[in-house]
Amino acid sequence: MVFASRREFLLQAGAAAAAGGSGALGAQMAGSAPAMAIARWAGPQELPAEEIDKVAEQLTLKALEAVGGISRFVRRGDVVWVKPNIAWIQPPEMAANTNPAVVATIVRLCFEAGAKVVKVGDNPVDVVDQAYERSGIAAAARKVGAQVVIMDRARFRRVDIKGERLQSIPIYPEVLDADVVINVPIAKHHGLATITVAMKNFMGVVEERRTFHQAIGETLTDLNRFLQPKISVVDAVRVLVARGPRGGRLEDVRMPLAVAAGTDVVALDAWAAEVLGRKPEEISSVVCGHKAGLGTMNYQSLNPVEIAVS
Amino acid sequence: MRLPRWSGARTRRLVQLTFLLLFLLAFLATRPIPGREPPGWAKIFFWFDPLLLITTVLAAHSVVAWGLLALITIGVTVVLGRVFCGWLCPLGTVHDIAGRIIRGRKDRPGVNQYSPWQKTKYYVLVGMLAAAVFGGHWITIFDPLVLFYRSLTTALFPVVQWAVEEGSASIYHADPKVGPLRVTTLTEPAYRAFRDHLRVVEKQGFLATAGILGFFVAIVALNAYRRRWWCRYLCPLGALLGLCAWRPFLRRTVDPETCSQCELCGMACHGGAVSNKAQTWRPSECYGCLNCTEDCRRGSLGFRWVWPWRPDKRIVGVNLSRRGILASAIGGVTLLGFFRATPQGRAKVYNPNLIRPPGARPEPEFLARCTACGLCMKVCPTGGLQPCGLEAGWEGLWTPRLVPKIGYCSYDCNRCGLVCPTEAIRPMKLEEKRKVRMGLAFFDITRCIPYAYGRDCMVCEEHCPIPEKAIYFLEVEVVTRDGEVRRIKQPKVDPTKCIGCGVCENVCVFRDRSAIRVTSANEDRHPANLAVPPWEDLPY
Repeated sequence: MVFASRREFLLQAGAAAAAGGSGALGAQMAGSAPAMAIARWAGPQELPAEEIDKVAEQLTLKALEAVGGISRFVRRGDVVWVKPNIAWIQPPEMAANTNPAVVATIVRLCFEAGAKVVKVGDNPVDVVDQAYERSGIAAAARKVGAQVVIMDRARFRRVDIKGERLQSIPIYPEVLDADVVINVPIAKHHGLATITVAMKNFMGVVEERRTFHQAIGETLTDLNRFLQPKISVVDAVRVLVARGPRGGRLEDVRMPLAVAAGTDVVALDAWAAEVLGRKPEEISSVVCGHKAGLGTMNYQSLNPVEIAVS
Repeated sequence: MRLPRWSGARTRRLVQLTFLLLFLLAFLATRPIPGREPPGWAKIFFWFDPLLLITTVLAAHSVVAWGLLALITIGVTVVLGRVFCGWLCPLGTVHDIAGRIIRGRKDRPGVNQYSPWQKTKYYVLVGMLAAAVFGGHWITIFDPLVLFYRSLTTALFPVVQWAVEEGSASIYHADPKVGPLRVTTLTEPAYRAFRDHLRVVEKQGFLATAGILGFFVAIVALNAYRRRWWCRYLCPLGALLGLCAWRPFLRRTVDPETCSQCELCGMACHGGAVSNKAQTWRPSECYGCLNCTEDCRRGSLGFRWVWPWRPDKRIVGVNLSRRGILASAIGGVTLLGFFRATPQGRAKVYNPNLIRPPGARPEPEFLARCTACGLCMKVCPTGGLQPCGLEAGWEGLWTPRLVPKIGYCSYDCNRCGLVCPTEAIRPMKLEEKRKVRMGLAFFDITRCIPYAYGRDCMVCEEHCPIPEKAIYFLEVEVVTRDGEVRRIKQPKVDPTKCIGCGVCENVCVFRDRSAIRVTSANEDRHPANLAVPPWEDLPY
């Protein structure tokens, strides 16, 4: 078996070891589960607004199922941190925050997999409680039983991450204490970073992030290498293709109606770059992450499972 | 009517506490809640304030419809006397509590005698009303409701917040345990309740609060000299109500058969309204607090309905001198002249740091309405609205301005205009408010990283809330120290789109002095301060 990266090897080895206790079926699943899956809507493209949430839910379910199901990552009794992008005071249709239906579906799946607690939270750029409310994520997550957590700045704890650029950085401790973090970004345009997807989503669990922009690729690589995300689900149901990351014009929103799930943030970002009409090699974080061995920018090499949902 | 001895003052204390709590409740209820407009009743106390009504009518020739409720206060005062001061005013209650704590239950004989200095408040009122006729609204910053609200918002509550936040955070990080119990299992829920239901924004603090707090502490501390010192000597609202209570229908009566002229009632009077061995009464100084009837051992005192035209030799009026009134009026207008005879007051120059809240009226009209009550600062979700020091001159002391370095004007908020009790900030719909220009952003290219250091940055561009982006960038080539040519993105401001919300200044990497700063230039409330007209077809 060829592993995409060292991390992938460790992950699968760990999963296999854990599966040793839970039976041969688990071992089989863990061994054969693909590293990436892309679910695309193949039904009618003109959808009424209320249908989009249902499509988002289906896409999320199928994409996660194809990478081995959420139970590959979440075990009974786990504390899970779901990390959507809730940066801005914008409604879902502006594609500035992760789609609430995607978040809610993941929370539901975590509970079905036996998670003890599912926490949902981000460190918004805008006024916190307003961003939580307007994004629709707080209400959607609460409805399915998640704890919606506000990251208090005074609760962050400085952690040595020993990266190339970042030596230490304040990180929200509950994220580090969680048994598993599920990274749920939205794919969108970003004025400086060109795009913001899975790697950049982790800027939402740290403080002192203003200087990141001066070397966005390297700092995001440092952060992701430290946090070791195990599973990311990229929301490309609606995407923002210009005037990101905040957006605010429906003209800048496109509807690829797709969700990708995978274990490799670099590969997911590379895929999302193409969705947004860019080339992966234009994106400094993708290139830096690839060079640092965090993942592969050649996402096709992971043989992603393509699923058409209708 | 004779109120039973045992109930009057006690009932009054209960009413006082209730109104103090209601005031605090209204204060806390203005906390901005996502997706909801601030409750209309948050400013209900101000609507009932006749000083605000009269000065706003005099100065701005305008009245906020709900403000007419203050006529009820005037009517009640004409009939019952200054019961507002004695029974309802929350600051009066604070004074009563402070006096009780500092001076104990009783005063020695003579302490509470009337002093002619108590006329000061009337002369101040006269002077300030004269100034109001010429557009000066300054007296309202000393209105008791206003100054109490402002002190709560900008000085007292932030101290509570500081204690809760710092205390709970240090417990969180130390994580002490008592036996098997972690202390944080108690403190964290308490902190979160405070965070989710009481505070507005974390680490909230205000500028220029030394004066606000100092003033508040001083007038409360002066209870050590005389109970209700503020109400007796200076309160402008008390003075106004005192004039209304010139000949109230409800009057204090003494039964000459039983009164022994013991002066217990005079000792118990916190307004100095009783003198001459209980025989004379000054209704303009009487709060109707019923302390005197409570303390009279012979039951000689009461309050009785009397037709106002009935002569009553025991009543002593305010007795202002004509000369004093004239001098006060001249003094008030002179003070206003002093305030306004400045380059800024004459609109020859504009203070770059005076960025008023969105929808603030042109400066003279704004000052003719703003009371500096602090409601707008209280509801500002970023904490960016701050009390002025002297940025707007003495006349603008403690009035609101946006300090983007501390907090920006949220693109998704229009609360300040909705809560302003005198509409100094116009109430606007969100879509309308989003178009108001408060100022213009400028890059300091000696600091801005892409300009000064040839690196990418763009935090400001990312945050710019205008959908079309008032901050954009141009790709340029720069030469590094080693002679290498790099392509970087340099940010620019589009003056036709910038509304001066200040989020760019707020989020700039430089925490000391931002490399992009907003000034009041281009504010649309002053056409004369327009520097770069928003003509979109011209190049920029």
